[in-house]
Amino acid sequence: MLEEYIPFVGEETIQELILISKKLKDLKVLHVNSTYKGGGVAEILNSLVPLMNELEIKTDWKVFRGDERFFSFTKKLHNLLHIPCGKYINSDEIVYYLKITFENLKEIDTENYDIVFIHDPQPMGLIIKKHPGQKWIWRCHIDTSTPDPQAWNFLENFLNAYDACIFHMPEFAYERITIPIYTIPPSIDPLHPKNIELSEEEIKNIITKFGIDLEKPIILQVSRFDRLKDPFGVFEAFKLIKKKYDCQLVLVGSFAEDDPEGESVYKELLNKTSGEKDVFVLNLPPNSHREINAFQRGATVVVQKSLKEGFGLVVSEAMWKGKPVVGSNVGGIKRQIVHGITGYLVNSIEGAAVRIKQLLANKYFRDEMGFHAKERVKHRFLIIRHLRDYLILIYKILNQKS
Amino acid sequence: MSNPFVFKSELWIPRYTGIKVCSLKELIEALKIIDKFSIFYHMYINIFNYHNLPTFYTNSISYWLYKNGYLLLAEKLSVIDPLDYFDLEELRNVLIKTIKENYYENMNEKKGNPFYFITAEREIIESGRIAHTLNEFIEGIKKSSINSLFYHLVTSRIENKTLINDYSAWLFNMGVAKKAEKINKLDLYSRNLYEIKKEIIEILESKEC
Repeated sequence: MLEEYIPFVGEETIQELILISKKLKDLKVLHVNSTYKGGGVAEILNSLVPLMNELEIKTDWKVFRGDERFFSFTKKLHNLLHIPCGKYINSDEIVYYLKITFENLKEIDTENYDIVFIHDPQPMGLIIKKHPGQKWIWRCHIDTSTPDPQAWNFLENFLNAYDACIFHMPEFAYERITIPIYTIPPSIDPLHPKNIELSEEEIKNIITKFGIDLEKPIILQVSRFDRLKDPFGVFEAFKLIKKKYDCQLVLVGSFAEDDPEGESVYKELLNKTSGEKDVFVLNLPPNSHREINAFQRGATVVVQKSLKEGFGLVVSEAMWKGKPVVGSNVGGIKRQIVHGITGYLVNSIEGAAVRIKQLLANKYFRDEMGFHAKERVKHRFLIIRHLRDYLILIYKILNQKS
Repeated sequence: MSNPFVFKSELWIPRYTGIKVCSLKELIEALKIIDKFSIFYHMYINIFNYHNLPTFYTNSISYWLYKNGYLLLAEKLSVIDPLDYFDLEELRNVLIKTIKENYYENMNEKKGNPFYFITAEREIIESGRIAHTLNEFIEGIKKSSINSLFYHLVTSRIENKTLINDYSAWLFNMGVAKKAEKINKLDLYSRNLYEIKKEIIEILESKEC
């Protein structure tokens, strides 16, 4: 499978991966997260784990099980780590977290591994089973730069027992962390159905199926139906653009059945845009990977106008397809877009409208920025770079032992 | 007969030092104490991360200065060619001196976007390729990654404490001085490493000695 990545990263890069992996041969590595399906972490592990095994690093992936009560607590914890919101963690919740952790300790064998990667806060308590000689790494996929103090104190009890932690970018790391902090951005897989090349015909068939006119410029935002993704702001920007440009707005997303807010945002958006013939609000089923791929390839300009964002890999997905992205100057979006070179970073609806207009008006800009956008992703945000970073990290951490 | 050339490569992982600064004064103080490989990361490696893009500045400190409105300082720092230095402590002093020379007390406003000091945890690996002759050397470079080029053109100079890169040093020993000089004069920070690789191969395959 590694060979399939040669067209994207070059044979030399794959050779170097093999060289570094030889230093880690026969090592046993375990990844633990809380789901096999859905979400960016599972998507990355789906690609990463087989590649590590192909490099003869025996790598397993296990899932931490919890029930609704457990996950509603960890969801609250997640939100509190992201930003204080006036909620409190009560002692019952802590006891229940520990109860579920102990139940998982019976199911998840962590003893036979040299390196254990724990993803996000849900399985973090497994660290209590750490054995001498093992190295445990906490991989945090959220922005904890300004956490609620109580939530952080809870987390810190476990964190200090880890050997290192990883954040997407230094901005996401809370300043009280005392263990080594590595910065490894997430990645996309060029072989995933979301990112593979599609024929012109397939792109055309998918897009026109929804009544969208391929002859007219398409402004696209792909995101969950969530206020923090600001689809309403994108629509306001579109109205400013529409005064001079005959174009279409496509807002593609999905909402989970158990997310009442997602459904209400979707309906509100449908209401707001109902009189606009060139606006398409599309709620696609989960796993509509080829459809999303086709929309990104068929778009003229891609937008990601989030008010707050974790890393926002959807930006890299569009950039990988040679699209300039107009994105908000927040979170990981500002790490992916190099302003004025691979797209534009904006701070308002008006800013978004101005930059989208510039790109609609100028094919040369679009092509140049699209070219550089793809180059940026090729070097910084593909799974092979991610894998290489993990291998070096493992090697470095094991070396600390000696 | 000269020693064979051993092709190596360099991989690294970024580690956050925990030091972030929001003003020029804090920047100067941090530059005095940070790990020298943090200087290496921001002055040398960062350009590697962006080498394939036509970015405005050649190092991340200049870019931060530019984003915060210190345009003069951004230019003064971006003209510092890291390849003029093999001693990271000397480069540290030049950075501090340049900022101090262009710094006034009224420039000490705190900025909203902090600068985060990262350091590089590096690993040098041998590719297993060795060159005894010029032809083997050319073949070796053709098979080299840009990380390998980065190691031999940039890092090796710091490790060996010399202004002459690995490729040129070996070529001098082989008696092909003109090629050695040409390669040593390449401006690595104005083009991407793929173009540099192509140009090195052209120099090596040209008829001149």
